[in-house]
Amino acid sequence: MIKKLKINKNKNKNININQKSFYFEDFLETNKKNKILKKSNNFQDRVYLLFFFFFSLILIFSIKITHISLNKKNIFNIEKQTSKFSLIRRDIVDRNGVIISRNVKTFHAAIDPKLVKDKKNFLIKLRINFQDLPINEIKKKLNQKKYFRIIKRINQEEKDKLWALGEKAIKFEPFEARMYTHGNLFSHIIGQVDYDNYGISGIEKYFDKELKNKKLLNKPLKLTLDSNVQYIINKELNIAMKTFDATGGGAVLMDVNNGDIISLVSLPNFNINQRANIKDKKFINKITKGVYELGSIFKTFTVALALEHKLVDTNTIIKDIPRKIRCSIYEITDMKDHPKNLTVEEILIRSSNVGSVILAKKVGEKNFKEFIKKTKITQNPEIELEEVGVPHQLKWNRCKLETVSYGHGITTTPLQATALYAAMSNGGKLIIPSLIKDRKTKPSQTIISKETSNKLSNLLRKVVTSKVGTASLADKNGYYVGGKTGTAESYGDKKNRINTFISIFPASKPKYTLFIMLENPKINKDLIYNYRGVETKAPYNTSGWNSVYVAGKIIEKIGPILAINNKEFTDLYVVEKFN
Amino acid sequence: MFRTKIIISITIFITFLILTSVIKNKTRIIEKKILNLNKVISIKEKNFNEAEFDFYYLTSPAELEKKLRLIGFNDYQPIKYSNIYLNISDLTKIKNKISNLNNLNDKKTENK
Repeated sequence: MIKKLKINKNKNKNININQKSFYFEDFLETNKKNKILKKSNNFQDRVYLLFFFFFSLILIFSIKITHISLNKKNIFNIEKQTSKFSLIRRDIVDRNGVIISRNVKTFHAAIDPKLVKDKKNFLIKLRINFQDLPINEIKKKLNQKKYFRIIKRINQEEKDKLWALGEKAIKFEPFEARMYTHGNLFSHIIGQVDYDNYGISGIEKYFDKELKNKKLLNKPLKLTLDSNVQYIINKELNIAMKTFDATGGGAVLMDVNNGDIISLVSLPNFNINQRANIKDKKFINKITKGVYELGSIFKTFTVALALEHKLVDTNTIIKDIPRKIRCSIYEITDMKDHPKNLTVEEILIRSSNVGSVILAKKVGEKNFKEFIKKTKITQNPEIELEEVGVPHQLKWNRCKLETVSYGHGITTTPLQATALYAAMSNGGKLIIPSLIKDRKTKPSQTIISKETSNKLSNLLRKVVTSKVGTASLADKNGYYVGGKTGTAESYGDKKNRINTFISIFPASKPKYTLFIMLENPKINKDLIYNYRGVETKAPYNTSGWNSVYVAGKIIEKIGPILAINNKEFTDLYVVEKFN
Repeated sequence: MFRTKIIISITIFITFLILTSVIKNKTRIIEKKILNLNKVISIKEKNFNEAEFDFYYLTSPAELEKKLRLIGFNDYQPIKYSNIYLNISDLTKIKNKISNLNNLNDKKTENK
């Protein structure tokens, strides 16, 4: 009974018991209207959706077009485009914008053995066209079925030849090779890069980051070097090496006012376009890495100090100069016999060792030490190269002052000695030699007064012009060459003789300093010199008969390029032609 | 009313459809042109780069000296200062003076 009641209750669930009225719904009509309305709404929604869709598309394309027109370059990822020409390393140019090194797109040739259809035929083709290739090795590698390279850094001709073989298996891997327009000429300065374009020596290594800087890729690295001057010096030095049968040579030309290195040559050199592992010591950069006892060229510094401290003047006579001076176990003598009384000027002109010792004693150890400390001549040279030498620590024991006064017992690099000569002739301002043009320079330190500097320039000129001077062969008309010779030896290798000459020109107002060095030169018996208008053969194997001779030849040739206002020459020319 | 709505919608739809396809095509053409131009520029840049490199190699002093030897000069060296004239008037002036001097010398020798 209870169950029946429950069912009834459920049946009457939708019936409202309290309802007082009712109506008949026009079911069909309302339903139709609703359906049509609903359909219409759906249709409109779709149209709106389509409209929106197309509108968005148009908007997107419009934006794209505007974007393309505004940012032509940035719309595509240029770096990833294989067709885009962009090199990964900056150019290196000389002071006149002449390219010294540049990256060139080239290829490695490789073989994919899986794509070789007829091995025999393939090998025959290679053998006929490329006779230098190791065919047996290639055959072995082909059997191993591993991808391998056959020629690295192929040139266009080789590529065309390989292409003409019509083999699918030959692949060309794009590769950027660093090429050097001048081959050997700048080998010790520029250095090399490895196959991955990382600098491994020279400027390439020192400025590796800067050369790879993507922001600066279109801006070449400008050096202070001059290709023409470098070529002339390199050529003359090479000739000199043959003439005097020298084992090596070196030269550096520097602007005395700012330290710009216009030329730096070290011989023997090597071709930087060819990769080779050079370990022989003779291939070091003799100018920056070679450490030498430079000998008599130090006498200029002794005289400069004596003049600077006003201990003597150029005309001061040093009386009773002995033939030899004994210091501890050392005996200091002169190569030639000089008069007993010499002026300070003559001590330098005649290159008297004993005279220099007497002057050094007047200067005193304290002043000498201070000078060496100021000039940093016994420290590592400052230059934008990693190949720099380390001069030996100077210990001021007994007799050091005496030996240092004429350049023995003290070591330095030719670069530092040249920079110091530049300072001696530019008014006394210490300069830092550099290979980079338009660099930031630090304020320079003064080591001697202008007055002393002028006196020194005149003295150095007299070394060349005086009858008793040691550098007459460098007296080239019009260029007012002044300088000092030196005969020395490699530190720790007494057999290695070095003949040097440091010149400044024009001596009236020095602009350049040129250092010339020949290693183990010998007398050339066939060479006839024009010595002060007289034809003669070399009596001694001293700098005056080889390094000076080379310097003269070089100055004569580079003078016009350096555009020295050589009034002396013009005057002579006018005199010859019109009077 | 309903039909006009449909017609308008369809017209808009077709117009937009055509417009979109036109714009898309234009964009593609522009893109292709840019890509082609980029390729051309790239090839030209590469060629220029290599030509410039070749130029500096061929005009390097060592190469010039080789060429000079071929045409009979023995040495590669700069012109002497005395032979450099900064302008044509200097050159003519000096040449005139030299010819005058030569004339004078000739007259002197004739008189003797």
